[in-house]
Amino acid sequence: MLKKYPTVRYVLLRAIWYFLTFLVAIALNFFLPRVGSDPGDIMLAQSSVSSPEIRKQTEESLRKSFGLIVVDEQGSIKRDENGNAIKASKFSQLTNYIGQVFKGDLGTSFKNQKKVSEIIAQALPWTIALQLPAILFGWIFGNGLGALAAYRRGVFDKVIFPLALLMSSIPFFVFGMVLVYFFGIVWEIFPAVGAYALELTPGFSLDFLFSAAYHYVLPFFSIFLILAGGQAIGMRSMGIYELGTDYIKYAKWLGLKETRVLAYLFRNAMLPQLTGLALSIGQMVGGALITEMIFSYPGLGMAMLTAIQTNDYPVIQGVTLLITTSVLIANFTVDILIALLDPRVKQSLSMDSK
Amino acid sequence: MIFSKRVICGLFAASFALLVSCEEKEAKDSEKTGYSRDQTLYLSGSQWGDPNTFNPLVEPWLVAWPANDRFNIMYEPLTAYNTITGVTEPILGIYQKELSNTEKIVVDIQPEAKWSDGKPVTSTDVKFIYELGKRFPQASVSYINEFVSEIKVDTVNNVERLSFMVNKKARNNPLAILDQLQAVRIVPAHVFEKYLADNNNDFDAVKKLKCDKDPVVSGPYTLDQYNNERIVLVRRDDYWGNKVLHEGALPVPKYIIHPIYKNNDHFAINLQKGALDASMNYIPRISEKKKDGVSTWYDAPPYFVPGSMHFLYLNHTKAPLSDKKFRRAMAAAIDYSAISRLALSNYTPPMKPGLIMSSGLEKKYYSEEEVTKHSVSLGDKEYAKKLLAEAGYKAIFDKDSVLKHSIGPNGDTLPSLLIKAPAGWSDWEAIVNLVVKQLRSVGIDVREGFVDGSQYWPALPSGDFDMIMRKPPVAVTASLPWNRFNAVMSSRNWRPVGDGNSMNENEGRYNNPSAANYNKRVDDLLDIIPLLSDEDSLKVAYAELNNIFLDDQPVIPVCHLPEEYYQFSTKVWDGWPTEKNQYAPPQLPWVGSGINTLWRLKSVK
Repeated sequence: MLKKYPTVRYVLLRAIWYFLTFLVAIALNFFLPRVGSDPGDIMLAQSSVSSPEIRKQTEESLRKSFGLIVVDEQGSIKRDENGNAIKASKFSQLTNYIGQVFKGDLGTSFKNQKKVSEIIAQALPWTIALQLPAILFGWIFGNGLGALAAYRRGVFDKVIFPLALLMSSIPFFVFGMVLVYFFGIVWEIFPAVGAYALELTPGFSLDFLFSAAYHYVLPFFSIFLILAGGQAIGMRSMGIYELGTDYIKYAKWLGLKETRVLAYLFRNAMLPQLTGLALSIGQMVGGALITEMIFSYPGLGMAMLTAIQTNDYPVIQGVTLLITTSVLIANFTVDILIALLDPRVKQSLSMDSK
Repeated sequence: MIFSKRVICGLFAASFALLVSCEEKEAKDSEKTGYSRDQTLYLSGSQWGDPNTFNPLVEPWLVAWPANDRFNIMYEPLTAYNTITGVTEPILGIYQKELSNTEKIVVDIQPEAKWSDGKPVTSTDVKFIYELGKRFPQASVSYINEFVSEIKVDTVNNVERLSFMVNKKARNNPLAILDQLQAVRIVPAHVFEKYLADNNNDFDAVKKLKCDKDPVVSGPYTLDQYNNERIVLVRRDDYWGNKVLHEGALPVPKYIIHPIYKNNDHFAINLQKGALDASMNYIPRISEKKKDGVSTWYDAPPYFVPGSMHFLYLNHTKAPLSDKKFRRAMAAAIDYSAISRLALSNYTPPMKPGLIMSSGLEKKYYSEEEVTKHSVSLGDKEYAKKLLAEAGYKAIFDKDSVLKHSIGPNGDTLPSLLIKAPAGWSDWEAIVNLVVKQLRSVGIDVREGFVDGSQYWPALPSGDFDMIMRKPPVAVTASLPWNRFNAVMSSRNWRPVGDGNSMNENEGRYNNPSAANYNKRVDDLLDIIPLLSDEDSLKVAYAELNNIFLDDQPVIPVCHLPEEYYQFSTKVWDGWPTEKNQYAPPQLPWVGSGINTLWRLKSVK
């Protein structure tokens, strides 16, 4: 089938695989949080209600609003012969959930009764605004440095390589805290906490945009520099490997211009780096938890952490759905891009179909 | 190559378009820009996570500050309890101590109290919230029915006089009603009755309303705006209480902002930088922050006024914890001063045994002589070893004197006991680490068991633990220390250990009523004390209860900490209450009579 169109066939096959992965991921996201204790228990334990009757009532009313017990058409709780509320089976919860997702309803948080779509809509712009530029610029900057270090070697490499190695081996949180300590507290050059000055209201005012940009500096660099370090190391070793290959030697013997050779080198060494980029962009929507905590920066990471701690199923499901979808889309895009960009893959596709 | 460039450019353009479209949406709900720093009071420590609803009828743990719990800035209670003087101070009502007795608690409504829409605050409003549980059993205030049987209303000299009748058949506890006067905030009945009528009397539908646009409140501030980073309150210059309670003065700050931090360190950082004026959370080594203008109630240790005890709850259904001698030996083996020094930055005053604090308002019930007679000697390892040996416990140490295991009186090897505590609560983790080290050194086989919050909380009511760190939900109110004894020793709601058998007091299952050795005197005393009013008989009753506690050691108190931390910065606002200037208790100006601070602050500029 589709033997004449190897690329289309390849794309279709990948799409089917990704769809299966998606289903498995959704099932895991749904069942894993439900292994432990019930969110009703967690919330009730934190309340100070002591009378057993009222506890039972509160518990049932909570579980009812969470959709964890069975109710009849009139909305009253169904009970077994002992008068205990009948718990909704996990399977019926799953069908409910899938039905709702297809209607575009991600549910409502148990924790603060906020719509999950609203939680995501409020946090996602911050998450993307912080991470997308940091990831893209970090990737470009890091790869540029790495390629240069590989090509130039000498003193340049001797400085760049250890620096990049140092940056990439510092954990995010340590580097973030070091930035906060020196730039935020000791020298007071940049604000240490928050995404904007709290006396301002978010909006398109100059004051706010300036304040947001000012608060952006430290969180941005805490991600950017570490990412750039890692990319530079990867690119450098890829570059050195490619430099030893025959086609580069041949190009040099032909007497091609240095920039031309560098362009060939970059194009080939970049392929594995491109996969890395796609993965980072896909995972980005999960939020930079550590950065958010260090700077009290808005974003999805913290929402996810609190949701996991309180077994807030709808939020966990909503955010993991988002992460799963974007990781898969990013990977799918890269698979296709590589098939188009990399002549070797392209070649093997047409070979397979013969 | 050209193709890939196009792709990358496209990706860029798409992502920025997405960004801009999302940010635009966010920008719409803001009109005002700027709250001038010298008119704004920054307080923090109560709101964690995104605020969503400000509906006072929703369960308190779902509601955003200050519409939740005990905050009386927007919605006010009838009275406020002053934790320093012990006086029940008036807010919407005036507590009539002389008229109150074991049958009823009497409160006069302030005739001039008004809602922000101009309507007067009346008995209808009070009855609405206090009796809501009778109409809707699922309401979070329905527990009041166990204390109050009915509210009688009389009019005396044109003032409405409310008599909260003690529910003799249920809890028979006038003391708890006094606590409720401060805990229950009055909401406007005319507003919520209308909401109920609009929703066909469907309480769950009314609970879905967010009440975040021009709420009708009676308090000195109201909600201005909020987002996930902060909640802003604005002063109501026509607040009725300015004239009646504060001699015509206005609260000093025009705005109150509650920043929402994601990290405990940010309280300290912002206090030191003057970006936060006061906070109520635990900040280690507060004394080192003095140089940056951060102060506390006392200048020297313990810095804060102790108000609550943190305990190690023990599971009485498991051997060897069911053995009184073993429990007493544990209490003796722990070095409490090391805990205070190493884990709590000296915030705990020297520990006295028992459930009655030897300072503050509880001091009158504390008797050093009685306590010494009944208690084990605290922090005495040799004594603890002696107690264990006498009770028949043996410890096996290896050649490096590391504990291998312990052996019980009947020759069995004892299991390792786990101390559960929520992972990430750094002060409790430090306490548990020290306790484990100290207990193991005398031959008691215990281990740390740090668990996620989602395991910690459900473990408590079901009794799924050997030992567990616990701070019972006991506020500093008129009913102390009774409510502390009740939280630790009451068998009123005794249930066996296990799923679906939750207890919210005495989670360690001490004093099983159906067991042969049940001590009925404990529950009797817990029932009698709230009905006593003369100090002498109270003192006798408390002493007896405390002696039983010391003899039985059902739980182990590990530290005395403030109920709420109170640290403030004097960089922008001055005039905070302290030990030397006790015009208000050591609380943030948002609960109890701590709110009086708002009228006494001075701008530094």
